[in-house]
Amino acid sequence: MTLFLSKPLRFIASCCIAVLLTLSISRQAMAMMDHGGMLMDETGMIMNANTDRLPKDCQKIGKDVDITIRAGHKYAEKFTGKMFAFDNQQWNVPPCARINITFINDDDIRHQLMIHGLPGYIYPQGMFHLELNGKGELKASLIVPAQKKTYLVHCELPQHMEKGMKAQLQVDGGDVDLPSIPGLTKPVRADSYPVDWTPSTLAVLFVCVLAGCLIPLFLIRKKLD
Amino acid sequence: MTKKSYLLLTLLILVLIAVAAQFTPGLSQKAEINPPSTVYNRVVGDTSRIESPCSNEHPEWRQAQVIEGVEIAASPLCEPDNPYDVAASVKGVNNISMATLMQSNFAQDAVIMGDDLDHDGDPDVIHIKLEVVEFNGSSPDGDFLMNTYNIAPGIQPGIWVFAPKSSGMAVKNFNSREARPFLRAPSPTIRVEQGDKVYITLENTHYLPHTIHLHGVDHAFMTPKGEDNDGMEMHPVFPGKSHTYEIQPRHVGTMLYHCHVQTAQHMMMGLGGIFVIEENQPNNWVQTFNIGAGQVRHPSVGVKKAYSQEYDLLYQSIDKKLASTIQSAIDPRLIAKDMGRVYNITESFENYFLINGHSFPYTLRDSMIVVSENENIKLRIANLQRSQVAIHFHGHKATTTAMDGVDLPAGAQVTRDVFDIATAQRIDVALNTTNDGLHSYSSGLWMFHDHVLTGTTTDGIEPGGNMNLLAYKGFLDEHGMPKMHDELFGEVFDKDYYAKKQPLWQQSKFAAAFGDVGLISPDIKKLVIFGLLIGFIIALLIAIRMIYKRRRQP
Repeated sequence: MTLFLSKPLRFIASCCIAVLLTLSISRQAMAMMDHGGMLMDETGMIMNANTDRLPKDCQKIGKDVDITIRAGHKYAEKFTGKMFAFDNQQWNVPPCARINITFINDDDIRHQLMIHGLPGYIYPQGMFHLELNGKGELKASLIVPAQKKTYLVHCELPQHMEKGMKAQLQVDGGDVDLPSIPGLTKPVRADSYPVDWTPSTLAVLFVCVLAGCLIPLFLIRKKLD
Repeated sequence: MTKKSYLLLTLLILVLIAVAAQFTPGLSQKAEINPPSTVYNRVVGDTSRIESPCSNEHPEWRQAQVIEGVEIAASPLCEPDNPYDVAASVKGVNNISMATLMQSNFAQDAVIMGDDLDHDGDPDVIHIKLEVVEFNGSSPDGDFLMNTYNIAPGIQPGIWVFAPKSSGMAVKNFNSREARPFLRAPSPTIRVEQGDKVYITLENTHYLPHTIHLHGVDHAFMTPKGEDNDGMEMHPVFPGKSHTYEIQPRHVGTMLYHCHVQTAQHMMMGLGGIFVIEENQPNNWVQTFNIGAGQVRHPSVGVKKAYSQEYDLLYQSIDKKLASTIQSAIDPRLIAKDMGRVYNITESFENYFLINGHSFPYTLRDSMIVVSENENIKLRIANLQRSQVAIHFHGHKATTTAMDGVDLPAGAQVTRDVFDIATAQRIDVALNTTNDGLHSYSSGLWMFHDHVLTGTTTDGIEPGGNMNLLAYKGFLDEHGMPKMHDELFGEVFDKDYYAKKQPLWQQSKFAAAFGDVGLISPDIKKLVIFGLLIGFIIALLIAIRMIYKRRRQP
């Protein structure tokens, strides 16, 4: 049936099916629905989307921020030694912003967009999660708290974050920078690479040794004299 | 200066050394945010280390043809066997014209065929002469190898083979050090007919002693003259000597022959081949030599009854340490010592894996099994490696029909996709290309290889080793090379690839993602601090000395 419907219709239809299925099948699934829900269809999954529930520290929904996040191998090409990446590594939003995310997967494989550390009373396990089973697009929104904080954004497939699919969402400028974000922050555990020892670097070393030796000697001699 | 201030200064110096140690520059350094970028080892457009996949030297050898009345099957490979060698092997060099002999490479007494003892239309007295040839050996005339034979691009381990007695130069031409194509690994398959009186003469052209042991072949323990007929270690044929082994085999099957002097080393050096006894049939002129093994371009009458094609597949391995013993010295005493006493095969590894004398990608030039659908093909597979092989055919399940030259009754024949063969064992296999979901899954370019995981590597570099293709005809180009392989050919027909200098996948869009990592720029800040600290420590030492000297002056 879904084949003959247009894309938005198809999505709504599948969401309905998902809702019906989850309601009828198990308590666990029902619990998921109670918590704001998990929507699934053949293109992917949306977990804990939130367009209207206000975090406790917000008076009202703040600015609507539209963000498009692309994922794929090609976004890693600009970073050395990475294999997967998002097209951006950092987003900054004002407190209580409603972020309307368009998540686009340009690879033929599965990718995820997970945001961690959100308040658990709106987002079960503190998590907002978009997942695309392959090439495709998903739209979903979330509302961030007012607190000045940095949230981890990543793909949780094994080794995807480690190989570059890591970014940060900063509310009100964020509180910290997360490590090992491609092109942005240093890794905690860095690889070692052979050093490019050139004559000029050796010359720098030699001059420094000479300077470190002669300047104090010169000063001492002056004092002694 | 007081004792106390000396102590303080020493302490200061020690502290400074400890601090400087934190800033010591090294040969490697941890990356900051961005690791170093990918570098390319080769100048763009430099193709000097890259080989053409197929040089297409003898396209006229590929078609089916008749030479000296001998029917020679088509061989659509890049490097097909020389059909004149096939004709000479079938008729014997004494039964062919001088013109054919000149186009072949045999000596005038390499294969002599005599009387038809059982009057069934084919000769039954066969004289075969074998020499011993060394490839990639050393020379006192310079730092180079002689009679070079590449098993893969740029790979030249020392190898020995039994070779049919040849005539003329052993190199391509006077200015070349490259072995002529007739001289190649492996030792050729030898075919005789059941009941033939066969005289196999080893003319030891090598500088070390050798023998021929006819493994599994029906032979008497002694020759009629009472001499050694088993090729045993205690009866070596010394350099410049010859010895004739005499057989009249009653039993049919796929057997072996190999040198039995310093057996472990000499077999691993390459002195072993397949020896086939074909069923006695009328007018059965068998192809005495299958140079380079592979396709039998003139199968026997018995084989043709049940099969459309026949292939000899010889697996062997090389330990590069053993192979280098003939390359690191010229003096035979040094070589004999190095190979016999210094080298220890019980502490050895196999580094190179060959099928029919080549490793991938050269296997694609002369050793693919080329088939059509609905064929029944006979494979004679022999394992002359040090270790066991587990031969796996992609897309096919074949059936063993004989083991070690003994036919299996129908109930004992096994259809499977991995054939484990211990060292020196042989199996005869019927490969059926009927697309029925069991024997064949479809036509294509199906890989076949030893599934022991070392087997598909060349000194650890994959793809290499005995990787080979079972190729359906529509999938080969006009030079007999597999289609759909262009990108890979650019990678593997490259001497630098097997020299471990080139990363893989450099012809793809992923070149940068898997290329070599460049050098990291040194941390100048740390370098400056280190330099200044060291300089300061030196200054302090000098100052102490100066003060000390001053104090001692009156």
